[in-house]
Amino acid sequence: MPPKPATKKKKVASPNRVEVDDDLEEWKKSKQLLKPKDQIELQDFELKELVGRTLVMTNNQIPNNIVEFSYVEKSFIPVPQVTNYIVAYECRGTIIHRDTEEAKAIIAGTDGEDGGMLNVYKSLIFTPIGSEEFEDKDKEKDEEAPAEQEDVGESEGVEAPVEEKADEEKKEEEEEIKPVSAKKLTNQFNFCERAALTYTQPPRMQETQTTPPPVKTFSGNVLQWIIYDSYQIDYAEQLEEKERERERKEKDKAPVSKYLGPPRKSKKKLPVKKGFSEEQEMRIFECWKVLERMINLNTYDEIAKDYRYWEDPSDEFREEEGTLLPLWKYSYDKTKKHTVTHICWNPWYYDLFIVCFGYLEFLKPLTEGFICLFTIKNPSYPETICLTESAVMCSDIHPKYPYMMVCGMFDGNIQVYNIQASAKQPAYMTKSHETKHSGIIWAIKWVPDLPDGELNFYSVSNDGKVNNYVLMQTELSLTTIINLYLDRDAAAGPDGTLVKLKACATYIVLHPSNPIVYMVGTEEGLIYKCSINYNAQYLMTYQAHTMPVYKIHYNKYNSSVFISCSGDWRIKIWEDNRADPLFVFDLGASVMDVEWAPYSSTVFGAVTAEGKVYVYDLNVNKYKPICTQAVVSKKRNKLTTIAFNYNMPIVIVGDDKGMVTCVKLSPNLRVPCKPPKKQQHLDQWTLQCMKLDRLLALVREPSVLAVHTDISVSDKSTI
Amino acid sequence: MADAGEGAPAEQKKIVHTYPLVKNSDMPEEMKQEAIDMVVTACEKFASNNEAAAKMIKDQMDKKFGPPFHVVVGEGYGFEISYECLNLLYMFFGGNVAVIIWKC
Repeated sequence: MPPKPATKKKKVASPNRVEVDDDLEEWKKSKQLLKPKDQIELQDFELKELVGRTLVMTNNQIPNNIVEFSYVEKSFIPVPQVTNYIVAYECRGTIIHRDTEEAKAIIAGTDGEDGGMLNVYKSLIFTPIGSEEFEDKDKEKDEEAPAEQEDVGESEGVEAPVEEKADEEKKEEEEEIKPVSAKKLTNQFNFCERAALTYTQPPRMQETQTTPPPVKTFSGNVLQWIIYDSYQIDYAEQLEEKERERERKEKDKAPVSKYLGPPRKSKKKLPVKKGFSEEQEMRIFECWKVLERMINLNTYDEIAKDYRYWEDPSDEFREEEGTLLPLWKYSYDKTKKHTVTHICWNPWYYDLFIVCFGYLEFLKPLTEGFICLFTIKNPSYPETICLTESAVMCSDIHPKYPYMMVCGMFDGNIQVYNIQASAKQPAYMTKSHETKHSGIIWAIKWVPDLPDGELNFYSVSNDGKVNNYVLMQTELSLTTIINLYLDRDAAAGPDGTLVKLKACATYIVLHPSNPIVYMVGTEEGLIYKCSINYNAQYLMTYQAHTMPVYKIHYNKYNSSVFISCSGDWRIKIWEDNRADPLFVFDLGASVMDVEWAPYSSTVFGAVTAEGKVYVYDLNVNKYKPICTQAVVSKKRNKLTTIAFNYNMPIVIVGDDKGMVTCVKLSPNLRVPCKPPKKQQHLDQWTLQCMKLDRLLALVREPSVLAVHTDISVSDKSTI
Repeated sequence: MADAGEGAPAEQKKIVHTYPLVKNSDMPEEMKQEAIDMVVTACEKFASNNEAAAKMIKDQMDKKFGPPFHVVVGEGYGFEISYECLNLLYMFFGGNVAVIIWKC
């Protein structure tokens, strides 16, 4: 709606006004003019004066200095001037001016079109925008547009009738064009949405299948006994595992090479090729061992049967007497010249025993010693052989760990073997002169383990010391428990210095029930009762013998009773804290060894240098042995040791020609206690204790009587 | 000839074992431990209600190791099952209860 101010501003044409005035003059002349009374009389010239009228763009009626009091700013502020035009209605058109290039282009483009096309356009006008028909995108007809245009034209005409003519001209122009622009003229802002659809891919099916997870079947039955059995088996395995663990720990304790004994038999009997691995060799060795056992079983079949079943029938007719049945003889070629210095049964396997080979004839020294393990199953050859650098004088097997063997040497050294691991080299040995004894070691004994599980043992030697050795991780740690000083004045040496004399210890025995008490026998014939708590004092000194004490042994049933033997031909039985012996037996030759029988509280056996074995049963005869038997030839051989088996009625005795003889005790020598009629319920142990107590009570009473016994016995035996 | 050792160890006292004993399992070690723990917890919680115990084990196993687990808790039964490998546990607990857990 573009207004046309140019026409408004045009000054009104004066000729028109002059014509009107002229008419007024004429009209005035003809008629008398009525005038208001107060009309100002104007002169002609005044009346003829032309008053120009001017149209200005500003409206002078509008005040331009309106102010308003602002309470915010506390002052008057000017109010913006009111403009003189107001927009009453506004509407954006969709038509374009026909003079524009675009319109012309459209007109030119649609010129040749026929009416049919126009109709199509018309029909499309009212279709909603955004409809699917995208081909009809460029045209939209606004019907109202031309009408409005005409309205504007009319209003203009009213506003300025002066310019009617000019407007009419314009209208005519428009009329001229109208037929041409019957088609609508759209502008570029008139648009509709355009959409496009891309090509849709046709869907396609594809299938794959993964391999199914592996599946297994499992079946079983649940029954109460199955559950119970499973628990039993598992528990047994757990126990076994614990056992193995314990064993492994023990093995770790004794660090030795894993080499298990030499396959000596296989080498002897079979020329083993060097190509064999150790494992193969071991297997061959096992085979030979079985074969050897079989041959031995054949060879010694009769002896084996005797050992098991033969009981001397003549015992029934002999009162209070028994015999010894010789069984096997054990010897080893290389130890024929050695003396058996010590024998002891293995505490775990009752058919296994250890023999120490040393020498007692000090004028004919031997350079090496042996420790042999013999078994009853194989009398022909030792099970294990340990070769040592010096003669072995004594040994002991640990009661809890039957493979731990300690042995004392002639030269004062000590060696500890772990037979299970290796018999070739000791697990521990004394290395320097500081840790070893300075004399012959005569006795060695394991003692209960220390609180933290370390093994330890005591040893006694000619040098008058009682040493305690503890098996540490790699070495033996030494503690001297006591120096056995004699109760005499110090003797003057060659250069006048005084030397306190020491006793030469020959035997040590530990109290079976009181671990701090032990007894030491000496070469002077004394027996010292000591405690590990005192290192300068004896609990008691027994004036026991006049020659070296060879052995002291506690009674198994009553630990206050012990027996001792000596080179002065005598065996004495003592009671604790009693200076005088209860019994004295004179055997007419050096008593090399004596031992209580494990099966009876009153039976003991002894061997003499004359080659005889004596067996006493104090319950049967308090004066005479119930068996005296020469086991080896009197002239050539001396018996040196005796050991009762704790499980079978057999005894082994060792002699000075490296021979060990096994003899069986006849029934008379091992009569069990018969319980009295009123006390049938008592077990053998109690009965044995009672038997011994009865006997002791008989002997103990008046001290005079005891002396009398002593004399009478010695008299008898010397006669 | 002579026989071996000294004497057989004394006759053991009858003991009722109640610890969890795995009879058969091909589970990975960690999973197995967890499953055993679950069984122990469940069987202790529902000592007299095997069904509840089985349900509890199954639910937990499903949650931990993915759904299709099956659990049988009982004192006497027979079974023949197909199981997905590495998902089997057959164990005893409490001395009288056998539990089998498998996935398939």
